[in-house]
Amino acid sequence: MKFLLMLLWALSTPILANTGVAVQIQARLAAEARAADATFQGFSVQRGEAFYRDRHGDWSCATCHTDHPAKGGRHAVTQKAILPLAPSANPERFTDPKKVEKWFKRNCNDVLNRPCTAREKGDFIAYILTVRP
Amino acid sequence: MVGRILVWDIPTRVFHGLLVACFGLAWLSAESERLRDIHVLSSYLLLALIGFRLVWGLIGSRYARFAEFVRGPSAVSAYLRGLMQGHPPTYTGHNPAGALAIVALLGLGVASGITGWLAFNEMGGEVVAELHETVANAMLALVFLHILAVVISSRLHGENLVKAMLTGYKSGASGMGIRRAHGGVALVLVTGLAAFGWAMIQGKLPALWDPLSASVVGKSHEEG
Repeated sequence: MKFLLMLLWALSTPILANTGVAVQIQARLAAEARAADATFQGFSVQRGEAFYRDRHGDWSCATCHTDHPAKGGRHAVTQKAILPLAPSANPERFTDPKKVEKWFKRNCNDVLNRPCTAREKGDFIAYILTVRP
Repeated sequence: MVGRILVWDIPTRVFHGLLVACFGLAWLSAESERLRDIHVLSSYLLLALIGFRLVWGLIGSRYARFAEFVRGPSAVSAYLRGLMQGHPPTYTGHNPAGALAIVALLGLGVASGITGWLAFNEMGGEVVAELHETVANAMLALVFLHILAVVISSRLHGENLVKAMLTGYKSGASGMGIRRAHGGVALVLVTGLAAFGWAMIQGKLPALWDPLSASVVGKSHEEG
């Protein structure tokens, strides 16, 4: 019964169809994080949310992607509209590992002025997957 | 009589210098969202420059014209063979290998502009975005090959071709030079580009920054 309820919940949640790739990316990031730090205990939604909201310099992730990443954002420089980042609102997000890595690379350099660590990226994904529309 | 003759008119030299500057800026700002406006601006200027060069290649002074320097594959291979043997044939204007580099660089510049414009406006998805990178990488590779070939040709011809592209002068038969430097055309080019760039910076050309949102609601910016 519990299983059936969970299945029902899963099917009714649009993000589940696309979380497969995000989970695979997280698995790879977890291996990287463990290799970098033997005490790594897994990714944290709370850390991910704090990372998303905190300003690292003058920008945070939220600067462009808004405080609620299920909403559309706006580019801080060009003012162009940005589609929602959360897969719950935009199922195409986090479905292409190459694209995910490309944008982590670019945006981490823009916001933190350095590459993100595997743990930061994994925390970020853990958070973004929990965001509901 | 051999002496110092004017070969490259001022518009051609100004074009060359500004193309280097715009490509350099576009390249250095490519990976950054903070510098995205610089990337877009320098790329539009690069396209405008190439547009000018295509026209100047039809109506410009003698050695600026495509008809004078674009040659067939046999001339290119003869020149390259000569280059390998240390005795490349001498040309007053562009040599056939240089001409090939010019045509290819102009083509790649246009291609990177078009693919970049499409990617900036989220048309064509990741395929176009990756094509844009590939084209720009090919252009950079060709720039380095061009520089290498210029250095080698300079040595073999005993003439500093880089300096010639800066001053406009080469050594040659006295009747072979161009008579006018066309400084006025260069001034129009620079003024036009400056006005265009200034208007873009001032936000007077919003359609160039965001062509679709002007008419279509719900424009988007793609990310991973």
